[in-house]
Amino acid sequence: MQEPKRPPRRSGQGRSNRSLFRRTIVLMLALGIGLFIPLVGQLYKLQIVEHAKWEEQAAIQQTKSIAVNANRGVIYDREGRIMAMSATVYKLILSPLDLVNSVKEDFKGKEDKLDEDTYKQALYDRRKLIVDWLVDTFGYDEDWLWKQMEKTSNAWIELEKEMEEEDAEKVRAFTTKNRITGLLYPTPSSKRYYPFSSVGSHVLGYLSQNENSGDRKVGAQGIEAVYEDALSGDLGRVVTSKNGAGMEMISGYEMYFDAEDGCDLTLTLDERIQAMLEQTLEEGIETYDVQNGAFGLVINPKTGAVLAMASSPDFDPNHYSTILSEDLQRELEALAAEKGKDSEEYGKAWKEAWDKQMRNRAIGDAYEPGSVFKPITVAMALEEGAVSLNDHFFCGGSLQQNGWPKPISCHKKAGHQDQDLTHVVMNSCNVGLMKIAEKLGAETMWKYFDDFGLFDKTGIDLNGELPQGIFWPGGEEYFTGPYGSSSVATSSFGQTFGISPIQMITAFASVINGGHLLQPYLVQSITDGDGNTVYYHETTEVRQVISEDTSDKVRNILEQVVSTKEGSGHNASQSGYRIGGKTGTSENIAIKSIDPNNDDVMCSFMGFAPADDPQVLALLVYDTPQRSAPRSNHTASGTYISGGNIAAPMAGQLIGSILDYMGIERQYSGDELAGPDTPMPKVTGQELTVAKGNLQKAGFECRTVGTGSIVQGQVPAAGASIPSGSTVVLYLGEDAPGEQVAVPSLAGLTPTQSKNKLEELGLFMRASGVVDFNDPDVVQASQSIDEGTMVALGTVVEVRFVSSIDYGDHQ
Amino acid sequence: MARKAKRDLTIEQKLARGPIDLPFLALVMLLTALGLIVLLSASFPSAMYNLSPKVTNTGGDPLYYFNRQFGFALMGVVAMFIISKIDYQQFRWMSIFVLAGSVVLMLLVFVPGIGKTGGGAARWIKLGPVRFQPSEIAKVGIILYFAARLSKRGIQLGPPKDKKWNRRTLLGRTCERLDNIGFLELVPYGIALVVVLVVIYLQGHMSAMILVIVAAASVLFAAGISLGWFAAAGAVVAPLLWFIITQTDYMKARIDIWLDPFVDPRGNGYQPIQGRIAIGSGGLLGVGLGNSRQKYLFLPEEHNDYIFSIWCEEMGMVGAVVLMALFALLIIRGFWLALHARDRFGTLLIVGIMSLMAFQVFFNIGVVTGFLPPTGISLPFFSYGGTALMITLGEMGMVLSVSRQITAPKAE
Repeated sequence: MQEPKRPPRRSGQGRSNRSLFRRTIVLMLALGIGLFIPLVGQLYKLQIVEHAKWEEQAAIQQTKSIAVNANRGVIYDREGRIMAMSATVYKLILSPLDLVNSVKEDFKGKEDKLDEDTYKQALYDRRKLIVDWLVDTFGYDEDWLWKQMEKTSNAWIELEKEMEEEDAEKVRAFTTKNRITGLLYPTPSSKRYYPFSSVGSHVLGYLSQNENSGDRKVGAQGIEAVYEDALSGDLGRVVTSKNGAGMEMISGYEMYFDAEDGCDLTLTLDERIQAMLEQTLEEGIETYDVQNGAFGLVINPKTGAVLAMASSPDFDPNHYSTILSEDLQRELEALAAEKGKDSEEYGKAWKEAWDKQMRNRAIGDAYEPGSVFKPITVAMALEEGAVSLNDHFFCGGSLQQNGWPKPISCHKKAGHQDQDLTHVVMNSCNVGLMKIAEKLGAETMWKYFDDFGLFDKTGIDLNGELPQGIFWPGGEEYFTGPYGSSSVATSSFGQTFGISPIQMITAFASVINGGHLLQPYLVQSITDGDGNTVYYHETTEVRQVISEDTSDKVRNILEQVVSTKEGSGHNASQSGYRIGGKTGTSENIAIKSIDPNNDDVMCSFMGFAPADDPQVLALLVYDTPQRSAPRSNHTASGTYISGGNIAAPMAGQLIGSILDYMGIERQYSGDELAGPDTPMPKVTGQELTVAKGNLQKAGFECRTVGTGSIVQGQVPAAGASIPSGSTVVLYLGEDAPGEQVAVPSLAGLTPTQSKNKLEELGLFMRASGVVDFNDPDVVQASQSIDEGTMVALGTVVEVRFVSSIDYGDHQ
Repeated sequence: MARKAKRDLTIEQKLARGPIDLPFLALVMLLTALGLIVLLSASFPSAMYNLSPKVTNTGGDPLYYFNRQFGFALMGVVAMFIISKIDYQQFRWMSIFVLAGSVVLMLLVFVPGIGKTGGGAARWIKLGPVRFQPSEIAKVGIILYFAARLSKRGIQLGPPKDKKWNRRTLLGRTCERLDNIGFLELVPYGIALVVVLVVIYLQGHMSAMILVIVAAASVLFAAGISLGWFAAAGAVVAPLLWFIITQTDYMKARIDIWLDPFVDPRGNGYQPIQGRIAIGSGGLLGVGLGNSRQKYLFLPEEHNDYIFSIWCEEMGMVGAVVLMALFALLIIRGFWLALHARDRFGTLLIVGIMSLMAFQVFFNIGVVTGFLPPTGISLPFFSYGGTALMITLGEMGMVLSVSRQITAPKAE
């Protein structure tokens, strides 16, 4: 073929040449084109189809991404006090890999002459330099450090997680001096501080690492967890390229993604009110020897803003992994002494104690509300017109219910006899409530339970809210059916079911605030890093449950529960404030369901003030005050175990302090002998008659010592602040004595007796608690200065009074 | 040698002074230049980091590999031109010496002091400053020898067949029968091939064996050897291969790694994975020339067998296809020259050389992209290796030499 003109020498040759030509063409096509087809196909698969996958693999191994912390937002209380803030600390990083490389670097170019021993010695020297310094400066364990040094494939060993700036500076100085900056270095990190320690711990929560957060700490509970995204901001990132040996590339690229700081939160919580609540809980636990802790809530009933929320025992978010409660600590130590700290029992007990202190019972636990629930039943009945304020109810001590073996009794076995609606509530009469429930009907009650939000979460912005209360098996069908009547009866006074405290207080708020069921909340506003408000909570009304009119009526009844002597909540009264509320004494249904004979009770009080225009609503629950003896109804100190005798005085005190703090003035009615503190005028040197006139003008009584017409001395001194109505002492013809007097014991005395006793000695009384001066049942509960203490004349002794009547409201 | 005046030349000599094929030359030069550029990009990180100074001490010079390759490329181009000047008819008589010489050189590998062990197999010899694999020469030797001998097929078969064999002896009859079916004709090729293969096998150089076989087979195929013999050889080799692949642990492990390199991502799977990361992350357009990240100590052999994956990473699928197209054009142009060669020897010579080239490219890219199980075959013009490049360019010189004797078609 190649020479078409040339005649073939032989026919075989021609055939052979044709074959050569054909076969060469076959090879040309097969090798020049055919072989490349599968290769292009394979490239298409790798570079186009699987491109994303391989690119991701490449990015994973080729880049080193270092997170840059964004500053976590600050949490403020409603007054702008810092509840939680972050500050920069340092992690101390050791890189054994770079250490080895740095030694190798020193020998670079001398590899041929590299003597193994010289190299090893150099490596040892460099390691020893660092180890010795760390041991000397920070007291590390030397053996442990040497072990870390052996991890030569590791470039990131965290020796320290939270190093202060001062120490970081020491490290920098050391490494710079010795030119080993890349081998041991502090890298910025952040630490969360909670300036008020345990105050509000359950609300604030704490930060910890979890399985998804990696190296970073994230909110593990409370506001820190719920608002994690807002608080944490966006992590920044420095992406650097690295080579296959894990070293940063000399001519590599770097990309920065700026960190965006987290938002600041302003809570509805008030640190001072929170502290008052926690102190009140602790004081009650101490005073009444309460066994199972306590919890409480303070909200603004008009908005649903939570002012305080506490659960005892609590924890310190700065050191959340330690047991804070001294009682629990003592128990654990006893166990440790007995079984040893490594024992299984100890580990279990520690875990239980820790779980206990981390638990926010104010939202997470179902509790039986007891008589605190009665106003809700009454509100339903008034709203439905089933009862009116003028209706009378007879209580004979018990009432038979269908399907219940024995009559359900009232706490007063003799019966409350005839009483109007107000007195039913004041007496906390179970029989009266059962009769109201009868009039209401099960269907209506069930509907109202729903309306008051007992079947739903309140939607408060915290994790761990009780998902569902404890209600009767069978639900609505059972409740409204023929077998439900005893449950209907008992539910009317808040027993045989369990709801969360936050549900209770939210429902109660709607009863007193004009009927508005509100969504409780903790975060008032969120402010971004530039100070712009990005979120502001507006009051969220879930629904109107009852009318304004009904609400007014119930509020009025509840004020009388506190203000009248026979009202079960009388111990919550505070002179100068109009307080309303309801006591409760209930069973621990969780325990009762396991052990029917258990007689643990929870003493609670729900109170609000001022009664005509409620600003605060507080719920206190003390779980199981210790009985002086089994089946005894009194504590060791002789206090009758009931909401009215245990929780009400504590709540009254708390509400009084909160109102004082909020700047709501006490309004004293004329007949109250304890008036507001008034400065003592200067009367020394005045004519007695003039002085008397001046003192009367200021609101003081006086008595005189000695004879004469000119006042030579006075107790107290001019300018001293004492309650108006006090009897001051004027000295005629002699100077006021300078000696001290011993504070007397006021135990068992009424307010009048106490006042007189003190004033006889030249001391003054500031009364608190139930200040009914002429009521023989009101007696001293505590005094601010102990008996026998020597004090100067004119000293004011604060005395708290309670009503000594046993206020029962239990079955 | 004084240059003779043109009129004094024989026709043969005149023909040998014809023009070389410019398109082919251009493709060769283009590939050589491109190869140097890619090598520079791929090799400078490992040269700079110099992590294994005991194997190759680059002294931290990023241009270490490039400079050497560049020097060899220059020498190779010169060699190519010199070889192209030789009248390729001279290769006929040289072929037997090249083949025999390469076998001797390959045996020298086992002589201490000359042979160099690298990568667990003895396949290098060092003569003065030059270090090379004699198996590279053996491939050329086989092609030359086969082409030279096969070109005489059917022309000079000596005495007429019927007089050759003594039919009275069994041996004679058997031989005649074998001769008639064309078996005896193959015996010399078989002997040469087996000798070369055995020596290469002793070096433990699997990939070289494969290349020798496919190059030899291509020449035999083009020369018109009956397809039945190929089928017969395939029937023998196929079960053998199947046995080796499935029954030996070593090969089985290789195959497993090939099918899924992620079974051993830090060990044997590391290189295939890194190669695929490089190729795959290149995407359609690549990360840009010189911007490969995989060459920074991730991908082993990045300037050697796996250089193609760096090219894929930097230039993407587009670049990869362009590169393969250049190879395809070179191969097609080579075969075009083969079709137009002056005689059968020229045709078969080019067929052998271009087949070798095509299979090297196919095996290298096939392995790197994971289309074929891993074997160590370098990419002509691109992989680092000075003597290999010189030998490749020398082969191209042979093709050009053949191209000189193609007579231009008569003007219409």
